[in-house]
Amino acid sequence: MSVHFRLIAALTVIFAFFNLFAQLQVEVKDGAVADYKMAVSPLAVLGGADAGLSSEITGSIEKVLDITGYFKVLDKDSFLEKPEVAFNKVDFKSWLNVGANGLIKGSIKGKDDVELELVFYEVAGGKERLHKKYSTKAGMAKKAAYRFVAEVIKILTGEEMNFMFSKIAFIEKTGDKYNLVVTNFDGSNKKVLVSTTATVLLPEWSADGSKIYYTSHEKNNPNLYSIDLKTTRIKTVSAYDGLNVSPSAYPDNKTIALCLSKDGNSELYSLDTTTNELRRLTTNAETDTAPSVSPDGKEIVFVSNRSGNPQIYRMSLADLSKVERLTEQGNYNQDPEYSPDGKKVAFSGRDEKYQFDLFIIDLATRSIERITQNQGKNESPTFSPDSKVIGFSSNRSGKGKLFLSNVSGTKQIAVYSGEGEVMMPSWSPAETN
Amino acid sequence: MKQIFNFCAVAVFVFTMVCSCAGNPPKDEREAAESAFKDVEAAKDCAREDYLAAEELLNQAREEINNKNYDKAKELFNMVKEKSDAIAKYYREHPDECMKKKNDETGENGGNGEDGDIKESDVTSSEAVDPAADPKNPDMDFQVVHFEYNQYAVLEEDLPKIDIMAQWMMNFPERVVRIEGHADERGSNDYNLSLGEKRAAEVKNKLIQAGIDSARIKIVSYGEERPVDPASNEEAWFKNRRAEFKHEN
Repeated sequence: MSVHFRLIAALTVIFAFFNLFAQLQVEVKDGAVADYKMAVSPLAVLGGADAGLSSEITGSIEKVLDITGYFKVLDKDSFLEKPEVAFNKVDFKSWLNVGANGLIKGSIKGKDDVELELVFYEVAGGKERLHKKYSTKAGMAKKAAYRFVAEVIKILTGEEMNFMFSKIAFIEKTGDKYNLVVTNFDGSNKKVLVSTTATVLLPEWSADGSKIYYTSHEKNNPNLYSIDLKTTRIKTVSAYDGLNVSPSAYPDNKTIALCLSKDGNSELYSLDTTTNELRRLTTNAETDTAPSVSPDGKEIVFVSNRSGNPQIYRMSLADLSKVERLTEQGNYNQDPEYSPDGKKVAFSGRDEKYQFDLFIIDLATRSIERITQNQGKNESPTFSPDSKVIGFSSNRSGKGKLFLSNVSGTKQIAVYSGEGEVMMPSWSPAETN
Repeated sequence: MKQIFNFCAVAVFVFTMVCSCAGNPPKDEREAAESAFKDVEAAKDCAREDYLAAEELLNQAREEINNKNYDKAKELFNMVKEKSDAIAKYYREHPDECMKKKNDETGENGGNGEDGDIKESDVTSSEAVDPAADPKNPDMDFQVVHFEYNQYAVLEEDLPKIDIMAQWMMNFPERVVRIEGHADERGSNDYNLSLGEKRAAEVKNKLIQAGIDSARIKIVSYGEERPVDPASNEEAWFKNRRAEFKHEN
């Protein structure tokens, strides 16, 4: 990794630099918290710019860095240098004094058509590592800033992240009312797509992100519907007697795996939504449900009660007899979700304290890592499209809120809490607008 | 609880009677008579004279069985059946009058203790049938049945509720019901939808076993979405793990 070589060359210069090097190694190796201290100076507000937008962008940059778990974002109250100081006049000593390893500084100009300028410096060497100018509409300025942060993260960790461009769908239940809600990854820009006192359950994105599937009891039977995000048109996808639930999209953007109970008990099927052709995947007297299709479309993970209690299984779609049990510990493992990179499966399981917590299986090593512990009920894990972050619902602070965590579980923050109970989040595919 | 006791008492009685006889007792006639008579228990207040007469005939028939007079017994059983059917018909055709009579006669327990050796009449007569739980009542309250955590077998003490439901469906053959299956809040929503479905399907199977046409029983699962008690404790969870009967027509 070229970052390393350059850092090694500079190793002898100063102690702070050594410190940075040590942290970078940890980050790249196993994703543990590295505690790289990043100062994000509030954007300078220039000619005609909206101060509110400026601070919103600053906050968004901080939030993205924070969620990755790789950075400690410094408190701006401690900063010694004013935001208005010109890019070529930065006093790096003052940033060293506040303990910063890195500094992001910027400015915004104009009201409707804005010019956003952002720079990332390594404080110790006083070196400019990235410098960009973006000209765009005000409404797109935040997205431009996300592009910049994604590049900074890539420079420091070598990892490609795109979670900041994606959305999350979830259910918010207030009293008897169910809302199907979509927000940006950080809980901002809330849109209610469906609102009803009949249920709205288990939302899931189509492979291209243009539709959301969900189940509702609107017709007194849990039927599966889809809503088109652009036109908001609702279509019935599957309405067999009994359950039509738990959709998961195949990469072909027309087939879904789902659970139907039309044959007397919960079984898994795949459904071609263009021809309505069904293929039965399981045959079992016990419950099989909650399929999640692998990103290559060749296998599914799912929940089955065939051992007497719910456990996570993996099945080849080319050979349905190839079924393998993935969880051995605990007697209530549910909600499996394939990571979009195909390497991991997240699930929720009931622990020895009878509380539901999140776990991640590494499919290569079969090791299972615990993500949450002693923090209330944590359910419905969903991976960001870059597989770097998981979203889930947690009631650790009372009612259910939407939480995000890095995949090692070391950084967990609430990003949305509204009037009601947040349930069943589902992360969109990459960039949906 | 009373219903269970009643049910057990009858069962034990019938069992004892059946075992005590030898030769060729009129088994079919007897079964038909006992069952028809049992079915009109609820009508005993509104058709009291006929009911008592049928009861007397039944006792005589049983006596004849004991005396091994099977032909005589057969004849008597047939009469019991006929009488019971007539009572049932009257009850069906005059439900309001029957209800009214029953209410007018509160506190009166029959008390005709001339048959000292037959305990059955005491048990049934001391039991005032609650019209809300009376399978002869078209507006009978549907009972809720409960389940253990992550199980779909109906709790044993709730099985008689399904028997009553089956009787009600027999009595009103044009009615269609919906069984709603529910789970407590623990576990994932999708798994709980499957669990609720299993519970509803189990109750449906019990009704089918009792002779109800499956086309008259719809099922739907709400998973954990419709708790009767939103609290997070054992008591609430118990209440929420349930199957409910609803009118579909």
